Amino acid sequence: MKFKAYLTDHGVSLLERRFVPALDKLGRICHLYLTRGHTFFLHNLLNADGVQSIAQFRNEALFEDYRISSQNEDRIAFAIDLALFHRALRSSVAIYSEASGGGGSAPNRLLVKLVKKLPPNCTQPMPFLTFETRGFKSAVIQDVPISKPLSRVDVLELQQALDLAQEIPRTMVQVPDTSQLQSFVDRMKHVGDLLNVTIAKYGDLHVQLSTTLITLGAEFRRLAVVGEQADVPDSEQNLTAQSRTRRAVERGDAHTVQVSLKHFAKSLQCHLTKPDCAFYGIAGQDSCLTVIFQFFIPGSRQTDKSISLHCRIPVLDPGSN
Amino acid sequence: MSSSEPDAADLVCEIDNVQGMVDALTSVRWKRQQDAVVELSEHGVVLIVEESGCLQAKVYLKRELFGRYDFNAHGRPRFGISLSLFVDCLNTFSVPGKSSCIEIRYPGPDMQLLLKSIDSLDACIYAEIRTKIPETISWDYNFEPIGSTPVTFTAKSAALKEAIDDLEWPGSSIQINLQPDPPCVTFRGEGHGDLQIEFMYYVNTDLLLAFQCDVDVSFRYKYKFLKSTTSNIPSSVLKDNRGSKVTIGRGGMLKVQHLVSVARPSHSHLDPAGYPQPSRIAFIEFFVKPEEDDDS
Repeated sequence: MKFKAYLTDHGVSLLERRFVPALDKLGRICHLYLTRGHTFFLHNLLNADGVQSIAQFRNEALFEDYRISSQNEDRIAFAIDLALFHRALRSSVAIYSEASGGGGSAPNRLLVKLVKKLPPNCTQPMPFLTFETRGFKSAVIQDVPISKPLSRVDVLELQQALDLAQEIPRTMVQVPDTSQLQSFVDRMKHVGDLLNVTIAKYGDLHVQLSTTLITLGAEFRRLAVVGEQADVPDSEQNLTAQSRTRRAVERGDAHTVQVSLKHFAKSLQCHLTKPDCAFYGIAGQDSCLTVIFQFFIPGSRQTDKSISLHCRIPVLDPGSN
Repeated sequence: MSSSEPDAADLVCEIDNVQGMVDALTSVRWKRQQDAVVELSEHGVVLIVEESGCLQAKVYLKRELFGRYDFNAHGRPRFGISLSLFVDCLNTFSVPGKSSCIEIRYPGPDMQLLLKSIDSLDACIYAEIRTKIPETISWDYNFEPIGSTPVTFTAKSAALKEAIDDLEWPGSSIQINLQPDPPCVTFRGEGHGDLQIEFMYYVNTDLLLAFQCDVDVSFRYKYKFLKSTTSNIPSSVLKDNRGSKVTIGRGGMLKVQHLVSVARPSHSHLDPAGYPQPSRIAFIEFFVKPEEDDDS
């Protein structure tokens, strides 16, 4: 089992500034899954509770001279602590840019590889993900401890979970301002902890929290819709948010699911990855609330297909549908 | 059907500075879980909180603070509400860096307090807060001056807060003393140690903005109640450099008053000198009963 690659500048800026800090907020431990074509950061794919997140990069987006080999079709997966990963990456980048800034003649690259080492006071060698940087006068090696690589069976299970998680909801609405939604949801956390989320085919996103003492909600109307659409009957234009939602659900034009407010807020942390668009949808059979983040090629309105990120928020109650 | 008889409500009002209202209500929130009584009248909204029959606070939101104020009830309707929930809920309406306008309506079909954002067509935040039958206010104190002239001083809110915060160290019981000659306010705490803080009128006019006292007055107050009067003053008030007025009334009743700006964040409501219009101020009043003297 071997893995060795050089992080590109683009890869560094994607990971260090955007993805790793954002994913760390979703959960400190994730699976790093490396294949011949792609690199994945996966949260909660092998356990049912918690927000699942799937960040996928084409290897060219992050690395050059990418080399991987394993007896399991060149697939390697292991668990890693994102906070440690971020620390190692950050300090490697600091040394790396310091040396690059000095106008050194030798091309200066950031090497990432898998190693087995014997840590002090241990009899068993342990696996590490190692970052190697050459500065002006020094070379710095940082070892981030990782779990034992997943067995063939576990990798297969991870791949199956990944395939299952690719389902796209039939109707998705585009939330224009996730930071505004985040600030609203963060304040809602003081009031309660269960959130009903309704997505309607005519472009409404309705979030509502309800306890014995209070009902608090927000309705975002006329959002862009991807997938199945419908029109709002004129007679319902002037109803209250709650009545409009109730009727749409009865008609089958909307679905409601209940999720944990904490999970919902966590998924919003993904906006730290600086996506260009965010879409919310409810997966088939109300199995989960899906958020898909879209990234554009810088300076264009074209989707950057080398990066993808989506979250699946577990549904607590199948709802009234 | 949904918008039937909108005028049947006792009160429908609109306020364009939710954050100002949050600030005003937060200043009387000294506990996490706290119940309040709200009283509506044609003059405005008053919110009252009290504790142990020794500490009472009132927030006056005059009708001038509201862009719209339709009062349609006879008498003064009162209802109980969880202050914590009310403040946390109002807070969700306040968008940072943007003035948000909301409509407040009472009562809803089930006697709820209804809130609704009204500044955007495509995004609407709404809330229904359950109200309770109000508890009776155990003391509606008729505050009377101690002598012919009121015994009072006005200090910078930040300075008053700092002094009271510092008195936490001796804790328990704090003596407040006002003396006419030399004009001076003394806070004295005895407990785990002694601490005395003096505000001298002539020495530091920056600190003590006004002082009025013709007799030597001295009373003791429980620290935890005294602390509640300043512990939650919003930082905007401290930054505005406003004064807080402290008055000692008959029997040693302590009254502490703060002013919280509910002006719109834009400049349209400022007068040419740059001060918020007087009508855009919420008044906060605290009443603290003195400690009974054991030896008297």
